[in-house]
Amino acid sequence: MLTVCLLPYAYELIPEHELVSASEAVKISKKFGVPIEKFPKILESDPQVAKLAAKPGQLIAIHREDPTGKYIYYRYVVRS
Amino acid sequence: MQAEGIDYIRFTIVSPETIKKMSVAKLIVPDTYNEDGYPIDGGLVDQRLGVIDPGLKCKTCGGRAKTCPGHFGHIELVRPVIHPEFAKTIYLLLQSTCRQCHRVLLSEEQITELRPAIKSYVSEEDEEREAIVPTDQQQMQQQVMDEGSKAVLLKKIRSVKKCPHCSAQQAKIKLERPTYFYADGNRIKPDEIRDWMQKISDEDLEPLGMDKTATRPEWLVLTTLMVPPVNVRPSITLESGERSEDDLTHKLVDIMRINQRLEQDIDAGAPQIIIDDLWELLQYQVTTYFNNETPGVPVARHRSTRPLKTLAQRLKGKEGRLRYNLSGKRVNFSARTVISSDASLTINQVGIPRRIAENLTVPFYVTLWNMEHAKALLMRNEYPMVINVISREGIRKRVADTNREELIKALAQGFVLERQLVDGDIALFNRQPTLHRLSIMAHTVKVLPGRTMRLHVSVAFPYNADFDGDEMNLHVPQSIEAQAEARYLMQPKDMILSPRDGRTVMFTEEDEIAGAYFLTKDDAYFTKDEACLMLSSIGINELPKAAKNGAYSGKSIFSMLLPKGMDFDEDVKGNHMVIKNGELKEGIIDAKLIGLGGTLIQHIFSHYGSDAAMYFILNSAKLSLRVLLMEGVTISIRDYYNTEFVNNERVRIIDEVTQKAALLLEKYRNKQLEALPGYTRKETFETETLVALEEARALASKTLEKVLDRSNMAYLMVLVHARGSVLNLVQTSMFLGQQAVRGKRPSRGYAGRTLPYFKRNDRSPLARGFIRSSFFDGLSPVEFYMHAMGARDSGMTKSLVTAVSGYLQRRLINALQDLYVDENLSVKDASGALIQTIYGGDGIDPMQEQVAKEKRK
Repeated sequence: MLTVCLLPYAYELIPEHELVSASEAVKISKKFGVPIEKFPKILESDPQVAKLAAKPGQLIAIHREDPTGKYIYYRYVVRS
Repeated sequence: MQAEGIDYIRFTIVSPETIKKMSVAKLIVPDTYNEDGYPIDGGLVDQRLGVIDPGLKCKTCGGRAKTCPGHFGHIELVRPVIHPEFAKTIYLLLQSTCRQCHRVLLSEEQITELRPAIKSYVSEEDEEREAIVPTDQQQMQQQVMDEGSKAVLLKKIRSVKKCPHCSAQQAKIKLERPTYFYADGNRIKPDEIRDWMQKISDEDLEPLGMDKTATRPEWLVLTTLMVPPVNVRPSITLESGERSEDDLTHKLVDIMRINQRLEQDIDAGAPQIIIDDLWELLQYQVTTYFNNETPGVPVARHRSTRPLKTLAQRLKGKEGRLRYNLSGKRVNFSARTVISSDASLTINQVGIPRRIAENLTVPFYVTLWNMEHAKALLMRNEYPMVINVISREGIRKRVADTNREELIKALAQGFVLERQLVDGDIALFNRQPTLHRLSIMAHTVKVLPGRTMRLHVSVAFPYNADFDGDEMNLHVPQSIEAQAEARYLMQPKDMILSPRDGRTVMFTEEDEIAGAYFLTKDDAYFTKDEACLMLSSIGINELPKAAKNGAYSGKSIFSMLLPKGMDFDEDVKGNHMVIKNGELKEGIIDAKLIGLGGTLIQHIFSHYGSDAAMYFILNSAKLSLRVLLMEGVTISIRDYYNTEFVNNERVRIIDEVTQKAALLLEKYRNKQLEALPGYTRKETFETETLVALEEARALASKTLEKVLDRSNMAYLMVLVHARGSVLNLVQTSMFLGQQAVRGKRPSRGYAGRTLPYFKRNDRSPLARGFIRSSFFDGLSPVEFYMHAMGARDSGMTKSLVTAVSGYLQRRLINALQDLYVDENLSVKDASGALIQTIYGGDGIDPMQEQVAKEKRK
């Protein structure tokens, strides 16, 4: 766990992570027409997920900003 | 026979009983044909196994060579032998069962507790995961499901020293690749292993992760060997009448020969050592029969020392059955020849040799409305003629002079005529390596004399083709749907912008750019005659407005190519381009506008469409070449003569950088050189010296740029980006500069020096690949050597990089091939999983980027 502690939680290159509520997650899943488990995955042990205390089965919204533009990426939390 | 549909396929291990049931012949003679060339009964080409010679009859089914599918035989092995591909499974079984009572090394309680976990692992019913409350046992269940039952059970079982059932002490089992087993250091022979396996009960197979309805563990030790039919291993009759057997037959002969000797020796009561030796040899033969590349086993070879191609080798790899015969199939309606260029074609066309056009066919569907046309076509007996007629019932008949009348009479609606390829047909044109979607494009056929396929030079770039002997492939789509799809989606004119970054990938190059400069430079004026000649060459039969003195400006002539009413205003590196209402008002046309990534072509493509862009490229190239024909660009040795100033500068620059390097060397020798963070002092010295020496070229470039002007044709070509660079000029007329090997100054070769010519540890510029001569002067032997080192290094790097990136490309394509952009611009894969929420982060197609940018404004 030591390595995890040493990882920075906030850094300019880490985009903002946000926990998505269950009702919101259903809406998002419907919007993309993809069941929530088929979203890209993220480990429960990921520092950003740990910080949000998200549990497996929940959805994380990542507010990305890169040279192509601003957009939201979603990841489905899985057991590590 | 058509299968109704397949519900499932189950792969199991075949039992000796099944082998015997399948077998039509027990083979006993380790030979093929007798002296008369007749198959020996009980030999490896026994006629009960099927026949491949025409004229013979199969003794099992009575079929002939064409109808007999072949039948399996078998060999009874005198002593059991480990199946080499299952050695690992046997190893696991030996480890997890008791040596005494042959039960699983798990107590009854453990088995009952683990049962649901194992079951759900085997059948992958993992829906009830959430419900599990993690008690100690269930945690293990969970682990079993997550990590795979084998791994966890083994970990648990390995720690068991004593059998929970009979309390017997357990031995440490060792597997020595490929097929030797030891218990506490003593060899366990295959027959003992077989006995052990036999004694494992059906009930115990379940916790071991085996399906008792399908497989018994003792089947992993071979007692009977299945012999494939002769159809699988046909022998070849050579011209001399000699027979050459298949590798598999050879291998089977070897197995049988050893088997027979083993049997004789056992019957004769030979000493155990001899029997064991033969037994081991039998094991070797069987191992190589399955896989001649088994690690730790010497390769079995043919008499000619060629390694034998046994079962695994037939299937494996690029030349194996799977990748060569099943994934890769040969195609009809295709052609391949050398390519060459043809400037009179459009980029959308491909020139096809008459010989090829006569061979390739396209279906012509006969309907009520084209019956007359069809009849006329069928009547023909020279080039664009019909090759085959396919009736409504699907019977294909070749058209010949003898049956033509008859076929015409029979012609009716619904017939299909296969006619020869003619101008205007669509064909897919491809050059390997196909790295790109631009590597296969749909061209319109133009039948031409000659033996090469021809394409316009401007499409050579996306194919990465040149005409030094390159060959390309052509495929003729047959169905109407395929033809339409090719026409609408794959034509080169629609691919002018790269799908990668939206740059133009079809453009004008080299001479065409130079010509465009002569046409559009500010003082370019042409007489009426010249203007007429130029414009008529591209099929324009009107003249632009003449200037006051009656001459025609090059800019006005070039404007004839531009779409009517076009406006364009762009500043490309100090060249201000103004096009107003379709008139080129200001600026000189160069490669930035009509070359690779040319913005003018891009603009025309996105605003006036693909046809406008295509004809713009074709016409500007042709027009430019016509201008160049009148003006001419010539370079001579004189362009590389240096003025005195340049020669002085050259000496000065070389002195300057050499002094800098000498200074650095002195500092380094006196240990005054401060090391850069993360580097040693030596490394610091090397990098700094390299930087200092490489600056020489930059300084030389500046000097040449100061001195040269547009009257120097070599420099002119550089300026308009037609060909060459300032570095080329510097290296030709001033000096070559620093050579590099692996990004560093050359240093290796002899102990402490690059060549014996130098003193050891000489770190001066000359000893480390700085070349002060120019190509014009010629290089000194030492310099030549340094240059060769640099050239070899870059050549090697290049060839290695292509191999590595080619494999990377293959992996990427395989990983990404079924991704698609959905309606809502999200990216999904074939299983429906989300990959990107919005394509590329902005949902923009690079080909449409220009339009998108302008809309945003």
